[in-house]
Amino acid sequence: MNQPEPVIEIKDLVYTYGKGDAVHGFNLQVQPGRCYGLFGRNGAGKTTTIKCLLNLLRPRQGSVRLFGLDPAKNEVEVKRRLAYVPDFVAFYPWMTVRETLDYLASFREHWNRETERGLLERFQLEPDQRTTALSKGQRTQVALVAAICPEPDLLLLDEPTSGLDPIVRREFIETVIGAYQEGDPGKRTILVSTHLISEFEGLIDQFTIMDKGKDVLALEADQARDRYQKIRARFNVPVPDASFPGALHVKRNGRELELIANGGGAAILEQLRSLGPESLTSEALTLEEVFVATLK
Amino acid sequence: MLFQINYKSGKPVYLQVVDQVKAAAASGTIQSGEALPSIRPLAEELRVNRNTIAKAYTELESQGVIETIPGRGCFIRPNNSPLKKEVRRKLLIEEIDQVVVQAHHLQVPPDELLSLVQDRLAVMEHRQRINEKEL
Repeated sequence: MNQPEPVIEIKDLVYTYGKGDAVHGFNLQVQPGRCYGLFGRNGAGKTTTIKCLLNLLRPRQGSVRLFGLDPAKNEVEVKRRLAYVPDFVAFYPWMTVRETLDYLASFREHWNRETERGLLERFQLEPDQRTTALSKGQRTQVALVAAICPEPDLLLLDEPTSGLDPIVRREFIETVIGAYQEGDPGKRTILVSTHLISEFEGLIDQFTIMDKGKDVLALEADQARDRYQKIRARFNVPVPDASFPGALHVKRNGRELELIANGGGAAILEQLRSLGPESLTSEALTLEEVFVATLK
Repeated sequence: MLFQINYKSGKPVYLQVVDQVKAAAASGTIQSGEALPSIRPLAEELRVNRNTIAKAYTELESQGVIETIPGRGCFIRPNNSPLKKEVRRKLLIEEIDQVVVQAHHLQVPPDELLSLVQDRLAVMEHRQRINEKEL
């Protein structure tokens, strides 16, 4: 079957700063219509990668393609089809909210006024307020409005909710689901980089874990929750001294045993059952727990 | 109806929505002809991907649980599966086999399993009666 052209394709990306490697051989492929999570600790290279996508940084090695195009050669064509919300938003201080949105809209071929009106009302943003008087949360909201109104094919979100209060975070995510995904769902693609994984758990359908500039794991979210299991067993005697091939982590504590399985959960459960435990439970790992288990 | 998503169950999110609608329809919590919430508000409320809800509704439609009326929404259908009787039985037998295997591993003997099934059927009937009274 012919796969559609990926919206984002990164191959063996290398970007080095003065000292140390920021990105060192990173790969990523995002298909249209997906909500893709890029998970990594602070300093893993997420922002550097996104800056390479936006042609704010030039890759030292490897290739970066958006919609099949090289952002360094086709910058305008690429940028008219995407919108970007950074973790720190800056606007011209002399402009009001209204002027800022009009200014940003002037660069776009298309701007959905209806969506804009709805979102300004929802976020209770005052059009006449100067952007300098906005809180961090409100600045992010204005940036989100500006990113959604052009109805781009790709929404790039770089740590969009860090430093925001829980209410603003929730509204942010609901807006991405509601207002952005509402259009042609097959074409609305999202790449969100974050370390606040649990908030995006329901939104993300595929993810890559990035560590020290490399991709260490790429999976579908449902697949990850199916493969990774946390198994707990309690015995009425001290935990038998058995080894568990296929377990990622094993924690023993007196009569209790906790294992993280990656794929081999059924076999481990079978093995534990034969040891006659007092109780035996297993549950799926959340994406955040998969992230921690992978990098621990 | 209210939905509850549990990311620790290991069950894909769209299937959780499918199963919860089917359970609500079977117990009469939601009646034939009643509308399901539309995709966007439900996705926002549960903070899940819009495509997840769309996928769940497509699955429910293919199983004959709901019908989509363009421009109006998704509605619970009267309980008549589009599948032939032997197919329906076969699907159920697969599920029963899993329960039988699970009962073996959990050391629940056959007679106890049978009485548990009867208990659960009684609970379901009880719920149906309560929901009928409320109508």
